[in-house]
Amino acid sequence: MPATGSGASPSSYSKTSALPILAIGLIVLLLGVLLAVINEREIDDERQSLIKSALWAEQYLALQLTSTEERLQQLALQFGADGRPSPSLLAQAHQLITARPEIERLLMLDAEGQPFRAIPPMAAMTHRGAEASDAFRLARARGTSAYSAPLLTEGGVHGVELHQPVFHDGKFAGTLAAVIALPALLNDNVPWWFAERYHLEIVDASGPLAAKSRIPAENGGLSHSIALERPGRGLMLVVTVYHSQTDLAGNFLVAAILVLAIAAIWSLFSMRRHSAHRLRAEQALRAEHAFRKAMEDSLTVGMRARDLAGRITYVNPAFCRMVGYSTEELVSRGPPMPYWVPEELERTVALHEAVLAGNAPAEGFELPFRRKDGERFEALVYEAPLIDADGRHAGWMASVVDITERKIAEELAHQQSEKLQHTARLAVMGEMASAIAHELNQPLSAIASYATGCLNRVEAGDVDAKKLSGALTKLSKQAHRAGQIIRRVYGFVRKAEPDMRACDLGPIIQDMVELMRPEAARRGVRLAMRIAPRLPLVEADSIQMGQLVANLARNGIEAMVGTPKTQRVLTISAKADGGEVRVCVADNGTGIADEITEQLFTPFFTTKEDGMGMGLKICRSIIEQHGGRLWHEAGNNGGCVFHFALPAVRP
Amino acid sequence: MPGTVFIIDDDEAIRDALAWLFQSRDVDTREFASAEAFLATLPDHSAGCILLDIRMEGMSGIELFDRLREHACRLPVIFLTGHGDVPVAVSALKKGAHDFVEKPFNDNELVDRVIEALALDAQRRARDENRASLASRLASLSGRERAVMDLVLTGKLNKQIADELGIAVRTVEVHRAHLFDKMGVRTAVELAQLVATA
Repeated sequence: MPATGSGASPSSYSKTSALPILAIGLIVLLLGVLLAVINEREIDDERQSLIKSALWAEQYLALQLTSTEERLQQLALQFGADGRPSPSLLAQAHQLITARPEIERLLMLDAEGQPFRAIPPMAAMTHRGAEASDAFRLARARGTSAYSAPLLTEGGVHGVELHQPVFHDGKFAGTLAAVIALPALLNDNVPWWFAERYHLEIVDASGPLAAKSRIPAENGGLSHSIALERPGRGLMLVVTVYHSQTDLAGNFLVAAILVLAIAAIWSLFSMRRHSAHRLRAEQALRAEHAFRKAMEDSLTVGMRARDLAGRITYVNPAFCRMVGYSTEELVSRGPPMPYWVPEELERTVALHEAVLAGNAPAEGFELPFRRKDGERFEALVYEAPLIDADGRHAGWMASVVDITERKIAEELAHQQSEKLQHTARLAVMGEMASAIAHELNQPLSAIASYATGCLNRVEAGDVDAKKLSGALTKLSKQAHRAGQIIRRVYGFVRKAEPDMRACDLGPIIQDMVELMRPEAARRGVRLAMRIAPRLPLVEADSIQMGQLVANLARNGIEAMVGTPKTQRVLTISAKADGGEVRVCVADNGTGIADEITEQLFTPFFTTKEDGMGMGLKICRSIIEQHGGRLWHEAGNNGGCVFHFALPAVRP
Repeated sequence: MPGTVFIIDDDEAIRDALAWLFQSRDVDTREFASAEAFLATLPDHSAGCILLDIRMEGMSGIELFDRLREHACRLPVIFLTGHGDVPVAVSALKKGAHDFVEKPFNDNELVDRVIEALALDAQRRARDENRASLASRLASLSGRERAVMDLVLTGKLNKQIADELGIAVRTVEVHRAHLFDKMGVRTAVELAQLVATA
């Protein structure tokens, strides 16, 4: 049996179940905070690296421009005294333009700021913007290189001009200017990997001038602006981070955390629901278990379960009380059991094996058991297969009833019934005696009358020998009649103890019928006998057989009270039938109603006003003692036929 | 002995033996094998008594007794009873049976009782006859004679009777003589006795 499970109550369950939810909430919160912090740090890092990168890019650009400045300075020194460029200068200029893609062209300007030479050549040399003139003037004024404000180059892109003053004999002779295209500056000087990460732009107050980007820049990305030291003039380098992959991963992480949190809470809820369900089921189980336990404890019938190997798996308190062993002493014990009776061991083991083989008698079996104190008792055992939860045959469940008291009661009842039978037999004998007395009265009265008549005549002297002898003959006839009655009765009353011996039922029936004839005649019943010749002998007590026939005959006679007199015939027949001798007593009475058929053989059941209700009961017990059968059926023309059959003695 | 004993019993031996016994004491008998047979030949005004067996095939003794009472048969009935029939016999006695004798009986005692019954029957018959003759004699009296007789029976003298009836003493004497004559008495005492016995 399952141990009693002690679970938490529902309220404590709800308390404890709130805790995980809180914990999960906290975890989610902390994760959020952690994510935010990480995100913050990442952005910070990104910003740092962005600034670093931006600085680096600015420095790099500045370095390039510085190098360009230096080259221009070197070239400026090579102008001839006439202020004309030497061929080597031209060659170097060409070389510079080739080496530096951002330098769109080199211009040579005179002291008035008029370009006189352009490499590569330019279509119109005159048209000069204000920004270029401004730079020229600045270079002339300062004597050092100067950058122009952003301007539109001949190539149609934004650019700046770098003017390097040229001195000739300490006298300003013009400038050497390089037109630097900003897009090319970005494209050719910023490495590709930089562009992979950042969007670069050179802007001034009016807007973007040049950009380098792998993809078009998006808004919202982290960006850093830094003023370009060179060329200056309000130009800014804007470095913008592309929308980073970390964002996507971060979002995914957040989403995953959220989903997981929801899933956790959901699963918690469903678990809680499940556990509530389980709790209810457990409570129901506990209630059921308690109920069953109470039931088992209240049982007076012993219950014992055994597994397929015959080991005890369970006993109830009633069984323990019955055999006097405790549950611990019995459970898991295998055969031979301590309560088996040694003398009956063979039979017990045989029964035990029959049970395990599934051949237990369905109607149960009786077996003596031994209590712990050695006392014996009779047990009635019913075995039934034990089917476990999976529907498998797991063993045998037996109910055991102590039937010792019942046995004693049965024995007592048997004795009482015998006593009663004896009494009833006496009553029947008494009744018979009454009938006999009446019958004897008749011839005795007649004898007395004849005798007195004779005496009277003799005393009166009226001695007519012929008359007297006639009367005396009649008298002696009556004496003979009386003697016959006595003889018949004597046969029945001589023996009190049942005496079984081989006897012929024919003469017994005949004698009994003769004894009953007067009674039958008084009731207007004709007795018919059909006794087959040479009946086989039966082992029987002749007195009891006579009683049996008398009882059945009397019943038959009494059953015909309502029958017209001419039809009142009681037929008693006897014949050999198979290995039996069968006697039938048939009447033409009213028959037996179906509703009383069942009660017919119960003691004290009677349909007669003055009946004792013992007749048929005695008949049946007599016939059963003789190993025969007694039954009845409806007669052919109304009435009832009682049959009894006794086994014939083999010759 | 006057009267006949009607023996009704279904046992032939009993009938025959009783007849033999009664004849030995000079009592006449007539035997019947059943109640039905007796009823069929019911001797209306015969003197005698009935000796009746209680247990019989067919109509029982008690049934016959009841039938006889219905027929206003006044013959005394003596029941012959067997073992255990005493309660039935007692109830019959209460209904007016004369006696019952239990079998087996003391035969001469039975005969004595029967003779007693016969005598009773004869006596009753005689009384019945007396009563009948007195009634016819009374019926023959005239009205005046009857009135005179009633006063004589109260013990009054002729003179007192004459005063009471408002007739002459002489007339009273004539009525008285006629009435004594008709009633067959000689004295007033005899008259009183005659009327009293009836």
